[in-house]
Amino acid sequence: MRNRTDPSPQPGADLRPAALPVGGVTTEQEAVGTLNDSVLAIRASEGDEDAFAVLVRRHSSRLLALAQHLLGNRADAEDAVQDAFISAWRRLPEFRHSASFSTWMYRIVTNRCLNTLRRRPHPLSLDTVPEPAAVDANSSPPKAAETDAAAAALTQALLALGPELRVCWVLRELHGLHYEEIAHVVGSSEQTVRGRLFRARRALMEAMRPWR
Amino acid sequence: MALDDPHPTSSDKPAGVHAAAAEASLHPDAELLAGAELLPCGRPLGHAWQQARSAAGAADPHSSRCPHCREAIEGLTALDRATRALRAEEQPDGHSLATRVINAVRSEVRLGTKLLLDDPDHDLRIAESAAAKVLRRAADTVPGIRAASCRVAAAKDDHAVHVVHVVVITVAATLDQPLRGRAEAVRQAVLHAAEHVLGLAVTTVDVEVNAVLGASRVHGDERHELSER
Repeated sequence: MRNRTDPSPQPGADLRPAALPVGGVTTEQEAVGTLNDSVLAIRASEGDEDAFAVLVRRHSSRLLALAQHLLGNRADAEDAVQDAFISAWRRLPEFRHSASFSTWMYRIVTNRCLNTLRRRPHPLSLDTVPEPAAVDANSSPPKAAETDAAAAALTQALLALGPELRVCWVLRELHGLHYEEIAHVVGSSEQTVRGRLFRARRALMEAMRPWR
Repeated sequence: MALDDPHPTSSDKPAGVHAAAAEASLHPDAELLAGAELLPCGRPLGHAWQQARSAAGAADPHSSRCPHCREAIEGLTALDRATRALRAEEQPDGHSLATRVINAVRSEVRLGTKLLLDDPDHDLRIAESAAAKVLRRAADTVPGIRAASCRVAAAKDDHAVHVVHVVVITVAATLDQPLRGRAEAVRQAVLHAAEHVLGLAVTTVDVEVNAVLGASRVHGDERHELSER
C-alpha cells in the first residue's frame, strides 16, 4: 500500500496519536528493543546506531559461542565477533536483506574465523589430540561427570576437524541452521554442505569412541 | 538433528566409494558420494545412521544382528549424547563485548546528508540520520505500526521561497485495523514531529506499508512475523 498525501490538514480529521512525541530515553530504548531484526537492520543501515546497538546485544552471545567453537579460545573469538560487527555496521548500507540479519552475521563471523584459522601455522589433526585424562578404556567415566567430560571431549575433537567441516557441523548441530542457510553462510552448495556434514559426523563419531 | 535429512544413501552406488571421504579433499564432487560409504556388510553408513534415529531401525532384523550396523548406530548415539551436552552448555556472556562494539560504532556515526532547518535565519542544519530517528519514533507511536526506512530529502521545488522537504517512510503494520486510517495517522505523526520537534519544513509524506507484522508480537524472529513485500 502506498499512501502519498500532501500535508494540508483535513477539517475535523486530526488522526494524530494521543501521545506525541514518545517519552523519555528509557521508554524509547524499550520501544526499540521490541523491534524485529528486519526493521532494526533497515534502521541501522540508515545510520540509526540505537537500532544497531539492539542487534548487537541480541546476537553477541550466540555469535561469540559460534566463534569460540570455531577458534577454540575466548580471546580470538571476541576479536572475530567484534571485527565482524564493526564491519557489518560499515557495510549495512549495502545489505540487501536477501538473507536475514542473523544469517548475514553468521556469514561475516564465519569468514573472520576462517581467516584467523588460515593464519595459524599448524592446525591440529585428529591424531595429535590426546584423549581426555578421565577416560579409561576399560571402564566408563563416572556418571556424574560423564556429560561434562563428553562435551569437553567433543569440543576438543571439533578443533581437530578441518575448518570447513567444523563450520558446517557447528552451524547445523549447535546453532540449528538449515542446509540452505549453511550453504549461504559458507558460500557453497547444499550438496557440498551435506557432504561435509557427513564427513564431520563420521570423524567426530570416531573421536568419541571412548564414550560409547 | 542432522540425520532427519535425506542423505545420499541410495544403495545403488558402486562399491568403490569406500574411499570417498579420502578423495573428497582432492575432488570436491566426491563429497556427494560421502553418504553412500558402504559398511563391510554392504549397507551404506548413512542408512545405518538414519535407522539410529528412527523407530523402524529397532525393528530391522539386519540392523539388530549386524555388528557393523550396530557399531555405526552406537557411534552415532554416543555422538548425539555428547552433542546434546555441548548444546546445553550456557552461551558465553557477550555483554562486555557488545558494549565495546557499540562504543566503537557510536564513535563513527554516519551523519550522511545535512538538512536545512526552518529557522528564521535558515542557517541551522541537522543530519538526515538524526532527523529520521525522530520521525521513526513518531511513526512508532501509531498502534500496530513499526517504522523501518525513513528518508528525508530536500524537495525539488523551484517556486519555494525556503527549502522544504519530502519524507518517504516505510512501515510494517499489523492487519487488525484498517491500513488507510493508520497510514494517515503515521503521516500526521511524522508531520507533527517534523514541525514541532525538529523544526523541519516538510511538504509531503509518503507512507508505504511494505510488511505485515504479527498482531500478538512485535519482536523476535522476523521470518515468522514479517513477510517481505
